[in-house]
Amino acid sequence: MPNWIASFPDTIKINIATPIDNFVEYINVNWRPFFDGIKTGLLGLLNGVYAVVEFIPWWLLIAIVFALTWLLMKKPLRAVLYAVLMLLIGILGLWSYMQLTLSIVIAAVLMAIIIGFPIGVLVSTSNHANALVRPILDTMQTMPSFVYLIPAVMLLGIGNVPAIIATTIYAIPPVIRMTNHGIRHVDKEVVEAAQSFGSTRWQTLVKVQIPQAMPTIMAGLNQTIMMALSMVVTCSLIGARGLGHEVVIGINRLEIGRGFTAGLCVVILAVIIDRLTQGIYKTEAGDDHGKG
Amino acid sequence: MKKTIGLVALLLAFLMVLSACAGGGNRQGSDSVKGDKIVFADIGWDSIKFHNAVAMLIAEEAFGYETEEVMGSTPITYTALLSGEIDVFMEMWGDNLEYYPDDLAAGKLKELGLNFGDNAQGLYVPRYVIEGDAERGIEPIAPDLKTVEDLKDYAHVFADPEEPSRGRIYGAISGWAIDTVMRKKYVAYGLDEMYNYVDPGSDAALAAAFASAYQRGEPIVGYYWEPTWLLGKYDLVLLEDRPYDPELFNEGLTACPSIDVTICVSNNFYDKNPEFVAFLEKYESSSAITSAALSYVQDTGEGFDEAAKWFLRENDALLDEWLTAEQAQAVRDALNG
Repeated sequence: MPNWIASFPDTIKINIATPIDNFVEYINVNWRPFFDGIKTGLLGLLNGVYAVVEFIPWWLLIAIVFALTWLLMKKPLRAVLYAVLMLLIGILGLWSYMQLTLSIVIAAVLMAIIIGFPIGVLVSTSNHANALVRPILDTMQTMPSFVYLIPAVMLLGIGNVPAIIATTIYAIPPVIRMTNHGIRHVDKEVVEAAQSFGSTRWQTLVKVQIPQAMPTIMAGLNQTIMMALSMVVTCSLIGARGLGHEVVIGINRLEIGRGFTAGLCVVILAVIIDRLTQGIYKTEAGDDHGKG
Repeated sequence: MKKTIGLVALLLAFLMVLSACAGGGNRQGSDSVKGDKIVFADIGWDSIKFHNAVAMLIAEEAFGYETEEVMGSTPITYTALLSGEIDVFMEMWGDNLEYYPDDLAAGKLKELGLNFGDNAQGLYVPRYVIEGDAERGIEPIAPDLKTVEDLKDYAHVFADPEEPSRGRIYGAISGWAIDTVMRKKYVAYGLDEMYNYVDPGSDAALAAAFASAYQRGEPIVGYYWEPTWLLGKYDLVLLEDRPYDPELFNEGLTACPSIDVTICVSNNFYDKNPEFVAFLEKYESSSAITSAALSYVQDTGEGFDEAAKWFLRENDALLDEWLTAEQAQAVRDALNG
């Protein structure tokens, strides 16, 4: 009985693992200045963000959350609830960890916007670019994150910097996708109207298409922030500090309570950021309706 | 059109029947087993995979068990061992787990004696940092670095990329008991004045940090342990420390003792499988044996199954030590067949 019908034939075998190993080793050794540059840049970004976050005293941050919730959602009770939840993070003794986690998330989200938004705009204007970028995005979203966590350590070392890179890779697809989607689905008649009044392509894009697409783009941003927050916890496995680090210590020591406490703070942070960013883009969508 | 589809479907069906038959022929004759299955913990590091492979080979060939490896991190597989979902832990680094002595004393699991004991752990640096490497064109950067205490003079060599004015020591993985000791050592020797103690987060990340530095020929100092594939593949030097003393050790003031790595089984398994337990009680290897096996895997690119066979062929006498004459013969037949 021919074996190759039952099981995949042994003769057709390609080893791509070794070439990939060699490639990573090659760029690790030869592209050092490049990665050192990235490292320095990202470290500067993170330190800057962290300095700002750390500068805000705890009561002010709680007050900001309270005021924003009230203003954006017009729900005073919810504003009180969120303020109490923020207070709870401090009471659980995890305020400084939360600050660091928040800083890494902000840094990664900034990177995602800086890189992702222009790509999204570009992709929306060209079908060729779209066809090229889509499979890449699919790969980024489905590739198990541990697969690129370890090369991130090889190339950028252990700590917060590779965490920003890994988080950016993981969280960038929604920005690109939703920017692309938003701009492509702007009403054709609106675009034609702009063009018939003599707008250049650039003017149409900046003054009509992007503003019209803003609610969709903001929805993408919201997803990106949520994904970044979940990834930051995973990145503690490569030495990122903050709340995720507490979770990892809790797991390693079988201290279930410690893990849960930190996990709870991640949840609080996620819920508040999610509702607030949703609040922002829903208000904007509402305003657009008002104007339209 | 419909005819074509029907034909294709028929052909496919035929092929599937064919492959089902072929598959049946392929399956190994495993009908003779008692139907019991032993579940081994695979915690991901190479040495435990090797010991699992040896024990699994013997469980299958000499005792007629089915075997399975379940992969997970230490705390997860450990919890599964307590609950009886995992039967056998071939490498219990008991001294490294804070919760282990209490659980053992409370009778939550059974320890079956030593697997190997002559291992080492502590702060390692690549040999080229001290001696240089003429072949790779690396100058000795820290020629007088011998002991942990000497690190004080070399903080600038091991600069922390996230804070270049200070040095960086890659610490043990947080949650391992040795991490507490290493942190105390870091303070006790005054290294906290000029070094940051960086938690690598996971053993995979720590290995990646060492591998990356080694490939680039850069200096690195950090916690590691042997036997591991990393120490087999790269030439690292263990920094010397004061001789081991049980009281001072926990203050971080002495070298680490070699840890007794033991074999553990769940209570349930212990009660139900006295014969296999007796074999595991006799099972003993050494760090040298383990390292040799890991090098074999690294050099030949073979799997751990092959390494286990190679090991048992090379150390035929062990079979007589561990097993009855009949069982030993069954394993020998399998090895040579």
